[in-house]
Amino acid sequence: MSRNLIILTFTAIVLMLLQVLILKYFVLFGIGFCFLYLMFLLFLPLEIGFASAMVIGLIAGLIVDLFYNTLGIHAFACVLIMFLRPYWMKWSKPRSGYEVNDLPMITNYGLGWFVIYALPLIFIHTLTVFLIESGGNQLMGLSILKSIVTTLISLVFMIAIQYLFYSKAKR
Amino acid sequence: MGQLFVFLYKYRAFFTFLTLELLCIWMIVRNNNYQRAAYFSAASGFVGNINERTNNISDYFSLKKVNSDLAEENAMLRALLLRVTETPIDSLKTFDIDTDTTDAIHYKLIAAEIVDNSIRLSHNFFKINKGSKDGIQPGMGVISQKGVVGKIRSVSKNYSSGISLLNSRNQVSAKLKNSNRTATIQWDGDGRNPRIAKLLYITREDDVNVGDTVVTSSFNAVYPKDIMIGTVASVKPDQNQRDLEIEVALSVDFGTLAYVYVIENIYKNEEDSVSINNPIDFNE
Repeated sequence: MSRNLIILTFTAIVLMLLQVLILKYFVLFGIGFCFLYLMFLLFLPLEIGFASAMVIGLIAGLIVDLFYNTLGIHAFACVLIMFLRPYWMKWSKPRSGYEVNDLPMITNYGLGWFVIYALPLIFIHTLTVFLIESGGNQLMGLSILKSIVTTLISLVFMIAIQYLFYSKAKR
Repeated sequence: MGQLFVFLYKYRAFFTFLTLELLCIWMIVRNNNYQRAAYFSAASGFVGNINERTNNISDYFSLKKVNSDLAEENAMLRALLLRVTETPIDSLKTFDIDTDTTDAIHYKLIAAEIVDNSIRLSHNFFKINKGSKDGIQPGMGVISQKGVVGKIRSVSKNYSSGISLLNSRNQVSAKLKNSNRTATIQWDGDGRNPRIAKLLYITREDDVNVGDTVVTSSFNAVYPKDIMIGTVASVKPDQNQRDLEIEVALSVDFGTLAYVYVIENIYKNEEDSVSINNPIDFNE
């Protein structure tokens, strides 16, 4: 567990810095952003419980918001996906079930499962962010396009980073 | 009570979620200009809609009074019409033409209905069912058949919100009809009496009597001149013995206000541009 705690803390700090200092300026064709900090929220173990997961999501969202000058928008979306996450995790359970000490990441449950687990949550998050940002339904098409592109980019980044930096836990 | 707690505890995840999301919405509306504007325009459209529906119903109950008011106004207009269309049959008879009234239309009136109105606050506002699609713009004056009502503050597509004369931040340039002495009408927000306003800046030398008529002056581009505001209700010297403290009984009964006219001054831009382009501090 302490190993997981170290992984999570380290991931959180690095991803947050990366997000607010570098990825903030990363925009593809004006429609593709990269919300890599979501990876840390997705890595939280299932046992952490509803309330603390949502509070962590709120704090992470607020930090990102402070640097994006959109106070509340990311926080709203993060709390939303942290609320939906446990239900989705239960529904998309891998065949062997979840191990108590394994963080939900590729090295533990495989690429296919991670994509199924992460894709809808990232999409809901980005869609929420862009819909609130556009302030209504006038820019619906553009918002959906932006969230699809952003979701794919974020997911590719997450998978690449996991293959590069996270090794299989030694038991 | 115990069951309530059980219920709250059972769905505590959802309630935590709800609380945090409300917190986020509050932050979004407070801190992001664009999202706030979207929120308020949606909210005001929705509220305006509901207000209009309830008003539609309550209109039926005031039909009798509205009818009599309209009949009165009709009679007045008819009298006016008779006076104006006095055409000379005799070719020797001469008559005057007011040059400023014949060369162009100066004011246009847009009829509107009040859908929301407050009179009990210290800053009162009203809402009407005409908006930008009817040509209403912020800053236009609003009158009823009995006198000055206020002026338009903000406009959405179908509704406009106006700052009422019963608002201590809304000053109207006025004059005494008898002496042509100009002054300022300001409603006293602390008194909260919707029938009485104060007439400011009349010095003690002036002869003001109870019952004198107060009308709008021509010193603004919002209202035409000589629109009724009210009659003097009481006169007494103020504490500093410098000005007179005059209370004016407003001619408009804001409590029963239903139909109003929005005044479009066609020359407003021109009038305002003269004063903007020639500021007082021209020596700088």
